[in-house]
Amino acid sequence: MSETPLLRTERLCKTYPDGQVNALVEVSLSILRGEYVAIMGASGSGKSSLLNLLGALDRPTSGEVFFEGQPLSGIPDLDRFRARKIGFVFQSFFLLPTLSALENVQVPMFEGLLGARQRVAKARELLKLVGMSHRLHHRPAQLSVGERQRVAIARSLANDPVLLLADEPTGNLDSRTAAEVLNLFAHLHRDKGMTLVLVTHGQEVADRAERVVRMRDGRICGVERIANTMLDAATP
Amino acid sequence: MRFYEFILKNVWQRKARSALTTIGVAIAVTAVVALVGIADGFERSFRDLYERRGVDLMVVRAGASERLSSSIPQRVGEQIRQLPGVRSVSPGLMDVVSFEEANLTRVPLQGWASDSSLFDELQMQDGRKLEADDDKGVMLGMVLAKNLGKKSGERLEIAGREFTIVGVFECFNVYLNGSAVMLLPVLQTLMDRPGQVTGFEVVLDNAPDKKELIERVRHQINSLHASNGEPWGIEAIPTMDYVKSTSQLQMAKAMAWMTSAIALIIGAVGVLNTMIMSVLERTREIGILRAIGWRRIRVVRLILYESVLLSLVGAGIGIGAAVLMTRALTWWPVVNGLVRGDVAPAVIVQGFLIALAVGLIGGAYPAYRGAHLLPTEALRHE
Repeated sequence: MSETPLLRTERLCKTYPDGQVNALVEVSLSILRGEYVAIMGASGSGKSSLLNLLGALDRPTSGEVFFEGQPLSGIPDLDRFRARKIGFVFQSFFLLPTLSALENVQVPMFEGLLGARQRVAKARELLKLVGMSHRLHHRPAQLSVGERQRVAIARSLANDPVLLLADEPTGNLDSRTAAEVLNLFAHLHRDKGMTLVLVTHGQEVADRAERVVRMRDGRICGVERIANTMLDAATP
Repeated sequence: MRFYEFILKNVWQRKARSALTTIGVAIAVTAVVALVGIADGFERSFRDLYERRGVDLMVVRAGASERLSSSIPQRVGEQIRQLPGVRSVSPGLMDVVSFEEANLTRVPLQGWASDSSLFDELQMQDGRKLEADDDKGVMLGMVLAKNLGKKSGERLEIAGREFTIVGVFECFNVYLNGSAVMLLPVLQTLMDRPGQVTGFEVVLDNAPDKKELIERVRHQINSLHASNGEPWGIEAIPTMDYVKSTSQLQMAKAMAWMTSAIALIIGAVGVLNTMIMSVLERTREIGILRAIGWRRIRVVRLILYESVLLSLVGAGIGIGAAVLMTRALTWWPVVNGLVRGDVAPAVIVQGFLIALAVGLIGGAYPAYRGAHLLPTEALRHE
């Protein structure tokens, strides 16, 4: 394939000053637009550090991340970049406890260009997409964990990102709810053309992706492509 | 949802902490507005008294720190009256007495000439005004009459001498409402200050350039001499400057501002503490906001607006309390007659501005801290 990758890392290193831990060692990786990639590895393998660098939440010690060919180190306003281009889904959902589902989804939109009414309309639309239309005015504490993750996914889509990064998105869910969330990701990938990068340590989660990047001790130790029939079977 | 709704929710959902911060600011603002308001009301009361009668210059003993109890010879008045441009000169003597049985100290006694224009400012509630031959008569201000439990026709002992209360008056000047008024010669005899007055009120003719006239007459009065060539040692001061420089007023204002400054520091530290706690408590929340793309400046705005909101609500409550308190003070006999029941709009505006400053100062450091949290570290925070 000759097209420019959506994301490319070049000899990415990350060392944390406390204890001189080498979280990432010369990681080079390319992710194409519209690809669904799972990063797998045990705890401490560096997969979350990689995700943080891909999402511009952290800066590498050395090496570079390129987004659509442009180095992230050359982007002056990484906050704006994150707001406009990237959606985040976390293992612990990280919804704001004082806000309803409808309001939580609107929080990232303050950095966008939409007016107040448009924000509400868009948040409703996104909650409908994740199957949460019936729970608009519930606060996180009033929702099941699966519902919370759906709201968090709707929030990650608030500013129409081109890339969705998910850190152990099913880590806190039971297998049935986890399957529902993975179906939702499959739907976003297949029907919306979303590029997905998902960090997991579960094989069944990784099996839903098109490509699995395996990590150990801060290095990539294997990449496998999956002929994925499960993707096609998925329903939102 | 609008940004301000998000802020309101944050403040509203943390009711106990918001309420405590608001109360802290409210107490500080109450102290400022009440104390400064009282001092300011006192000054306005004085100024009104002179301005309403068009008094242009006050003549007092030069360099006296306690002007209200200093003296100058009454005959100087004749020389002032002769100066070109002078329309009228009213002498006045002031002293203070105590009525211990009523627990009243430093009650002002005013001695006025029987033809003084000051009498025109009094509205009689009861009885009549003093007349030229009332050498055993006294008039009481309504507040003083109430505090003493006296009405016209009754007798009153002042500094060991018996007087008859000829009338009870009301005046727009709260200071006079707490005073007793008698004829000038009567007060001079009573206080053993014959031929002495505290000062003169000088009204000048109308002139196209009044400022110039005031300056000229002022200069002439300051250089008046006794017949033996000795200067009188008197000083003519434009009314506004006189009121502003009266030492009692200056002291009241200084005390008010000092107490207020302490209250404000306490208020600001309270807001600072609340907002730092709020940022610490919400470290992870701020991390989430930063991770989903909030710029630093928006986090700064979030925290600053919250602290300013709390401060302004506190200011509203504090100003309300101060206005009620000032009004309530007029019912307290000891200070009554010194306190005007209203607070000037300018003082209320000051209260709000001070609260705004408290909110901004108290929120600045927490906002800076919040905005500089690293998203990845904030997200790990438990």
